[in-house]
Amino acid sequence: MARTVAMFTDVSLCIGCRACQVACKQWNQLEAEEPEWTGTYQNHAHFTDKTYRLVRFMEEKDDKGALTWNLMSDVCKHCAQAGCLEACPTGAIYRTQYGTVNINQDICNGCRYCVSACPFGVVAFNHDTGRASKCTFCNDRLHNGLGPACAKACPTESIQFGFRDELAAKARKRVEELKKMGYKDAQLYGEDQNGPLGGLNAFFLLLDKPSGYGLPEKPRLPQNNVFVDSLLSIGSALLVGVGALVAFRERGGKE
Amino acid sequence: MPLLQSADWPLLIDLYFFLAGLAGGAFVIATIAHLVGGPRSREVVRVGYYLSLLALIPCPLLLVVDLGIPSRFLHMLMVTKPDPTIGAAAINIGPFHIKLFSPMNMGAWALLGFGVLAFLAALSVFLEDAKRGRNLWALRTTVGVIGGFFGFFLAAYPGVLLGATARPLFQNASFLGALFLAVGASTGAAAIALILSFLGQEAGETLGRLRQIIIPVLLLQAATLALFLLRVGMSGGEGAAQSLALLLSGPYSLVFWVGAVAVGLIVPFALQVASRQPGLAAISAALILVGGFLVKYVIIAAGQAVLS
Repeated sequence: MARTVAMFTDVSLCIGCRACQVACKQWNQLEAEEPEWTGTYQNHAHFTDKTYRLVRFMEEKDDKGALTWNLMSDVCKHCAQAGCLEACPTGAIYRTQYGTVNINQDICNGCRYCVSACPFGVVAFNHDTGRASKCTFCNDRLHNGLGPACAKACPTESIQFGFRDELAAKARKRVEELKKMGYKDAQLYGEDQNGPLGGLNAFFLLLDKPSGYGLPEKPRLPQNNVFVDSLLSIGSALLVGVGALVAFRERGGKE
Repeated sequence: MPLLQSADWPLLIDLYFFLAGLAGGAFVIATIAHLVGGPRSREVVRVGYYLSLLALIPCPLLLVVDLGIPSRFLHMLMVTKPDPTIGAAAINIGPFHIKLFSPMNMGAWALLGFGVLAFLAALSVFLEDAKRGRNLWALRTTVGVIGGFFGFFLAAYPGVLLGATARPLFQNASFLGALFLAVGASTGAAAIALILSFLGQEAGETLGRLRQIIIPVLLLQAATLALFLLRVGMSGGEGAAQSLALLLSGPYSLVFWVGAVAVGLIVPFALQVASRQPGLAAISAALILVGGFLVKYVIIAAGQAVLS
């Protein structure tokens, strides 16, 4: 396995130009979609099968009641423990040699389990092809020694591409700088490999709490529930089994 | 509220969950009636095994039709060029893959296994009816016991499958598998009772025995439903309270309280407890079937609804 790659999105540098969103569409040849009114400058409201990069324009009120923007270029997190990958019943979703998560379009059969299983609402169903789709981390570019198109296009280096360990060190340094500059809520999201989902291979530097950017505060791997839910089901099965044995036993029943 | 997406599984899938639960429940009850019931439970065994196979036949079709690419249904079990990195607990054997933490993959295998066993069980009943078989007891016991485990699995796994998503109503539930299993048992028993009361064969006594299983199973259904609601309500998970409100007081509340709880659970339970009259037992059984479908339908619909 090659060294794990990552994308680091530093929202303190984002100016909301959406060059990443356009570059992603162009490189991946994703069709344009009807714009929709979301109440803010954000378009579209959420990830779709044709929008893999999405700049969020979250409107927040500051201490004085004035409107402020939380800008963030959102993308598939390529989780180290990925809900979509574990959910996929076909094995279409796999981990690449670079540590990213990809959907093999030749295997996906369109069951849509991954769509429900993503804690970030990233995976979307494509009704035209009948398959699930999401950010590929520009897998084709990666194999040719190039970073993803969004990182290449970003004019402010808000999106950076590199090896995960190097980027993480950079991110930790940057968050300290911002704190010194007075951004007291500056924090890293997904950088910690001991944190939720084993760390995200697309991690973020936020200036506000995660929910201020439409991110879950504590993302969980959905498959962590399987064990307990199964045990409780077995308990239910035992009760049904005992009940049926009592009801049908040949002698001693209350007939 | 974090932004989530939904698989938007349609009514076809609700219908599959209902039929698979019914098939599994009916099979388990037939097996136990066969093991301990003696000759007086023979009709339960016959009807249970036949019903189990009949309810199962539409199931794979419902699932295949729902796929984005129906011709790739076999990918649930096998692909020609498997990738080694498809999950933490994935086992690749040749072209086949078993993903222990993907309930949908495990469910596909269970459906295949249960299909074979339900066919063999129904065949054993058919051979007995045609007076062709000898020593069917051993075969039926083997098939019945192994198939019983598959039947339980088939009834419960859809709940576990939903629990392993990021949808707040499912993710914080814990008891969905237990609830779905109870619903499978209640609908399976009710369907057998309904068919027996139509056939009118030795209805009194056999229905009395079914009544003795229907009453406790309905209680289990009520208990697991209550635990499910409590668990989601007290989980404090992001979006849990909001999605629970959709079910209990929002657009899905009418179907939930009137359909799934009152008409589909309380009324049939009261009928079973209050009266032993076969006519009322049949009405009760029909209502259990309606309630069993509605409780699955309404939970899935509310859990998949858009959260703002």
